[in-house]
Amino acid sequence: MKSLRHCLYLTILVLVASCNKPAEPIEITPEVFHVSVDKVMDIQIHDIFSPPVASRVFVYPNIAAYEILAQKTNEMSSLAGKVNELTSIPMAEESKNINLELAAIIAHMELSKSLIFSEEKMEVLQDSLYADWQEKNEPEFNTAKTYAFEVVKHIKQWMDADNYNQTRTMPKFTVDTDDPSRWQPTPPSYMDGIEPHWNKIRTFVLDSAAQFKPITHPTFSLEKGSKFYQELMEVYDVSKEITAKGNDSEEIEIAQFWDCNPFVSVTRGHFMFATKKISPGAHWIGIVKIASRKSNADVAQTVNAYTKTSIAIADAFISCWDEKYRSNLIRPETLINQHIDPDWLPILQTPPFPEYTSGHSVVSGAASTALTAIFGDNFQFDDDTEVPFGLPIRSFDSFNLAAEEAAVSRLYGGIHYRAAIDVGLTQGRNVGNLIVERIKMKFE
Amino acid sequence: MINLRYLNFKTVALCNLILIFVFACSNEESDQDKVKDEAPFRNIDANESGLLFSNDLKDSGDLNIIEFLYYYNGGGVALGDINNDGLDDIFFTANQKPDKLFLNLGNLKFKDISEEAGISQISSWSTGVAMTDVNNDGLLDIYVCKVGNYKSLNGKNELYINQGNNRFEEQAAKYGIDFSGFSTQASFFDYDNDGDMDMYLMNHSIHSVYSYGNASARTKKDSLSGDLMFENKLFDGKVKFVDVTKQANIYSSALGYGLALATSDVNNDGYIDIYVGNDFHENDYLYLNQGNKTFKESAEDYFNHTTRFTMGVDIADITNNGKLDIVSLDMMPYNAEIFLKSGGEDSDKINQIKNSFGFQQQYARNHLQLNNGSYFVDAALITNTYATDWSWSPLLLDYNNDGLNDLFITNGIYKRPNDLDYIKYLSTLDFANYTETKQDSIELKLINTMPTLNLPNKLFTNANNLVFKSTSVDGKDGSTYSNGAAYSDLDNDGDLDIVINNINENATLLENKSSGNYLTVKLKNSINGAKVNLFANGKTYYKEQSTVKGYLSSSTSNLHFGLGETTKIDSLVVVWQDGLIVTKKDLAVNATVSIEKEGTSKYNLEKKDALNYQEFTFQHRENVFLDYEQDGLAPENLSLEGPSTVQADFNSDGLLDLYIGGARNQKPLLFLMGQDGNLKLSDTKIFDEDSRYEDTDAIALDIDSDGDLDIYALSGGNDYPNGHPLLEDRIYVNDGKGNFSKLESKLINTNGGSVSSHDFDNDGLVDLFIGNRAVPGAYGLSPQSYILKNKGNYTFEIYAKARFGMVTDSKWADIDEDGLSELIIVGDWMPITIMSFTSNGKFLDKTKEFGFGDTNGLWNVVEVADVNNDGKLDIIGGNVGLNFKWKASKDTPVKMYLDDFDENEKLDQLIFYDFFGKYVPFASKDKLVEQMPYLRKQYTDYKSFASVSNITDLTDKPEEEIINIKYLYELRSMIFLNDGAKFNSMALPNQAQLSTLEDIIVEKDKIVFTGNHNGFVTELGEASSNSGGILFTENLENIKYQSLDLPNGIRGRKILKLKENEYLVVTNNGKSYRTGL
Repeated sequence: MKSLRHCLYLTILVLVASCNKPAEPIEITPEVFHVSVDKVMDIQIHDIFSPPVASRVFVYPNIAAYEILAQKTNEMSSLAGKVNELTSIPMAEESKNINLELAAIIAHMELSKSLIFSEEKMEVLQDSLYADWQEKNEPEFNTAKTYAFEVVKHIKQWMDADNYNQTRTMPKFTVDTDDPSRWQPTPPSYMDGIEPHWNKIRTFVLDSAAQFKPITHPTFSLEKGSKFYQELMEVYDVSKEITAKGNDSEEIEIAQFWDCNPFVSVTRGHFMFATKKISPGAHWIGIVKIASRKSNADVAQTVNAYTKTSIAIADAFISCWDEKYRSNLIRPETLINQHIDPDWLPILQTPPFPEYTSGHSVVSGAASTALTAIFGDNFQFDDDTEVPFGLPIRSFDSFNLAAEEAAVSRLYGGIHYRAAIDVGLTQGRNVGNLIVERIKMKFE
Repeated sequence: MINLRYLNFKTVALCNLILIFVFACSNEESDQDKVKDEAPFRNIDANESGLLFSNDLKDSGDLNIIEFLYYYNGGGVALGDINNDGLDDIFFTANQKPDKLFLNLGNLKFKDISEEAGISQISSWSTGVAMTDVNNDGLLDIYVCKVGNYKSLNGKNELYINQGNNRFEEQAAKYGIDFSGFSTQASFFDYDNDGDMDMYLMNHSIHSVYSYGNASARTKKDSLSGDLMFENKLFDGKVKFVDVTKQANIYSSALGYGLALATSDVNNDGYIDIYVGNDFHENDYLYLNQGNKTFKESAEDYFNHTTRFTMGVDIADITNNGKLDIVSLDMMPYNAEIFLKSGGEDSDKINQIKNSFGFQQQYARNHLQLNNGSYFVDAALITNTYATDWSWSPLLLDYNNDGLNDLFITNGIYKRPNDLDYIKYLSTLDFANYTETKQDSIELKLINTMPTLNLPNKLFTNANNLVFKSTSVDGKDGSTYSNGAAYSDLDNDGDLDIVINNINENATLLENKSSGNYLTVKLKNSINGAKVNLFANGKTYYKEQSTVKGYLSSSTSNLHFGLGETTKIDSLVVVWQDGLIVTKKDLAVNATVSIEKEGTSKYNLEKKDALNYQEFTFQHRENVFLDYEQDGLAPENLSLEGPSTVQADFNSDGLLDLYIGGARNQKPLLFLMGQDGNLKLSDTKIFDEDSRYEDTDAIALDIDSDGDLDIYALSGGNDYPNGHPLLEDRIYVNDGKGNFSKLESKLINTNGGSVSSHDFDNDGLVDLFIGNRAVPGAYGLSPQSYILKNKGNYTFEIYAKARFGMVTDSKWADIDEDGLSELIIVGDWMPITIMSFTSNGKFLDKTKEFGFGDTNGLWNVVEVADVNNDGKLDIIGGNVGLNFKWKASKDTPVKMYLDDFDENEKLDQLIFYDFFGKYVPFASKDKLVEQMPYLRKQYTDYKSFASVSNITDLTDKPEEEIINIKYLYELRSMIFLNDGAKFNSMALPNQAQLSTLEDIIVEKDKIVFTGNHNGFVTELGEASSNSGGILFTENLENIKYQSLDLPNGIRGRKILKLKENEYLVVTNNGKSYRTGL
């Protein structure tokens, strides 16, 4: 079908060309970037990327687009030298008069395609856009495309050295079943701990994965008076309390709204399967779109917002995962089922990795800090990111408030203790602040 | 711009289609001509027989495969003579249509008498059916199970009491068994031997699989799903069944997904036991009747593992050893493409988690559990009966009247919910829209997306000695969705016919066309459980009367003995359920004999002897290291080596002492043999410091030529890289009195597999061979092995080194009697390798010359001895055996490709093996993309992956560009007889191929061995079907086998002879046992 349509476009193109219609300039709007990011998000859900890997899929295409645009506008400055091991991209030759916004979106889509699995889904979008641009102005399109591919090649070389491939076949996370405080796989699918080597991925702005190593969690103890046990009981009690209030309670709505677990398994009939959900990072990328639109950001501002936020998210995951597999803490579900209530189920499904710190809290802390720097504090927005998944719109008065709600949602959901949320949020804000400080945009 | 790829594909596909079609046609023609006469059954058209019955299913709002996971589980068949006219009649159950009763008019003509007989013609989801005489009035009654109390289904189980004259009255409520819930099947048998029929009611579950939970959940009562045991109070003069579930110790929980039920006296103690086959993660139950109205669930004590998605079961003697074997069915596909795109075994991690939750080992393949009198061992893999796709009814029947029970299997699922692409599709479905209003349309779409596949039913002919041959049923083998099935000689012509209940298709009637002699035994007024022994022509045939078998069905109560060429029956001994014996002598064949219960002589139960072994004080404790978390594509765990044992006289008192090397964190032990014949632990401090080493092998040798035996301990383990100090070997020097000191010297530090010693250069100093096991972290690569020359003064030099393979054992012997030694090396993925020491001081590889060129196997042990007493040294090799998921031959080897396919500087092992005629990758798609992420782009769905049939398909790399390819040609344990020039191979008998052979002792006219290995990944499964045995080799043409008395499924690693007819078996990660002949 795809090729058929392509074929059709070409035919039209030939016809049009023969009519000698004057070529018109190709204009790129911020919406095209939103469409490309949305597409990546859709495919991520289809391909089931884990949250850390999803953050990597967002960030590189954004940086590629950003670096292309940074040449044009005086408002943005290149990230080369500011982001670890990134060198200057090949400069666009003045004489060629390259449409940099066009090159930026082409690079964004090309790089995205190489990062996801179901390439054909990306190609559908590319084919229709490319055909459109070709029709408008073939020479302009071709020049931009050629340049975009040069940049993609450059960014790919840098990307390929981030240790991602090496971490694919590193040993799996071995579960120490004898230590009662250690993380154990959780129901229903008892997946292996995902991405145990994510701290070996090259950071973007952080000097190392451990730069914002959080304070240690309360010492594991099942003694009734201990801090740890109190926090464990808090998860259990809160969950019982809000369950009693029913599905319409604010807490349950909050928990579900921020669930963002791409691994949720459902059992029907003979086998278990996963339902689609976006990752925590993707939710915040969705908020970038909302904020950009609401503030009528132009192409440069939009790409800037996507880039900075996605760097914050990517580094937040590296920082958080570093701690997760350092502390290897057991999830509340496992402990509650073992010691308190064998039939207890958390409101949200426990995701497959150690507890401390809370990934959503770290990521929300980092992303909200970046967004506040870009769009300002007290930025009111209506978050409709989860509407496609059957959840309502929630409104927030600031990014920080949204982040705090995202963080505490993990307690309501029954998948994190209080410490992982509070410390996680701080950890994320530290990551966010560093990024804001390091890669200031010229117009900020 | 025409899309060439698209066109091409279409054209190719079309060509293929035509080709296949033509091929299939011609194939069918020639085959059909051949089998037309040979096919054992004739499929009789429903219009001819009058059996117009079809279990038609039509999705309705709240009932479909999405809403009710057992929607396509089908209906059952019961065969029995309701009017005592000598012809078995037929009852069919239907799910959404009325049940039907057909009267047998003779000559395979039937008449539907449902309505006039009083069978309810209201459709209410019937499942299993049993015919039995519940009120002892000599007339067969009928009990029908239902799904009720669920959604729109409200049926109650029905009991049709036979009123005579082909009339029935439904009286379930009166009898107290009008249960309404998730009933699958009931079996009637006399659980307390009081002369009336009690009832086990097996119910299934729709309990969500949300959590595997803990196995202890099986003690929680569930009123709709829990199984129930009812005691018939007829003997007390009451018309009532009383619920005795709790007192009888029957689990009655939602964890019991009961689909398979059979009741038989499996341990031959005079009380009928119960086998319940559960679907999903819950284990199957074997309830042993304790004789006091209670049962003891004993599956774990009797089986090493069972079927996982158990769907049907039958119990009968398969090996003619007079003991009842059990066949249970699962859903493993046999078609390569379906196999590659279906969900299969659990990952090793999930398997480990399930075990930690208290569930016993299960595998998603059929099981053929052979009864040896003390326990059961699975033989489905060796008999190739393990994969018959989504299978329902197993029927063990002697269809060809040759005296051996054969195996008939129905299969097919109307919609395949385990199709992985379907599951993936589900996961991308937008469940946000899964509201009540849209539910129906979404579910309809889901159901339409679910693939359908019908298959021919399967027949396996028992050719004796653990050989089963796949046989065409009727020469056509049309594809059906077949569920319940039952057998009976419906036309009284001396062979067993089969009736099958199909989904959306007329029931199948298979007329048996066999000849062969037979005897049909009718037991008058019998209740299930009578045991019948038939003695003829020096053979014994054993059958127990039990009608509920297969799936949702019950077969004839007549006992059918196939007798082949036998024309005279010496005697027939019937032991009734209460112990009364009736003996009939000199019966003619080809007749039906009716036997009345009479006389007074009682049968003395043959008390089974307990296994005769004693535990020995050593226990091996393996450290936990999961290789597969490091080597994701390796097929086996190499860190489960040891213990090592050395039997030698260390303290020069003329008695053989024993050194045992432990696993990591377990120190070596020295036992000294006392004059009283007992081994006593000696206090050897020097070993205490060396507990950190994992001993993989050890030998006694006089390293310093001082007249006593020193110890060379080989260190190994797959958990440290080569060169690690914890892999360093050790030498313990003996002071002549059995006191050892550790030699301070730098020794080899590699992952050792075997050490052996011999003075190959005849310089008076004993030399060493160090065979290495593996390169840690790179399964498959051949590590360097060494021949070390003893230079005296505790110094060695490397005389020769080579990468022979993954070495497990080695021996030195002069097999060609030229006065110079040969070194014989065995291991994984390598042939039995012969290195010959020649007069010019070199070792030459003579493997091919001696005839071992094609012996690449998974060898564990090699022995050199004169097996046939001809004065020449023969070679005996212990291999992985035939009861194994991989099959291999010279023409269809297992191939292992070693290369860094994804260029991440880590070795990948890609294994391909012949799967029922087509090569398939061993690793699943999920596992492959995890290890080699780039494949995820290449195979975005399972369908495309399912067509991969060689390494180039998978990796785009031609074979010749791959760094290293290893092969397995031979999986059998073998004897190689030395004819003076070369060695001629002969396989050990099949009983010795039931598991791996781990260690061997060769004595005069005897080979004694121990076996089993649990280091294979779950996809291959543990080898646990032979703990040990003795082969009597006096006549090599007819080797006799006897099993050693050992616990079931132990992981035998070493066997040592303590004295005449007494052996010590040391296991990996377990106890040690003394056992005798």
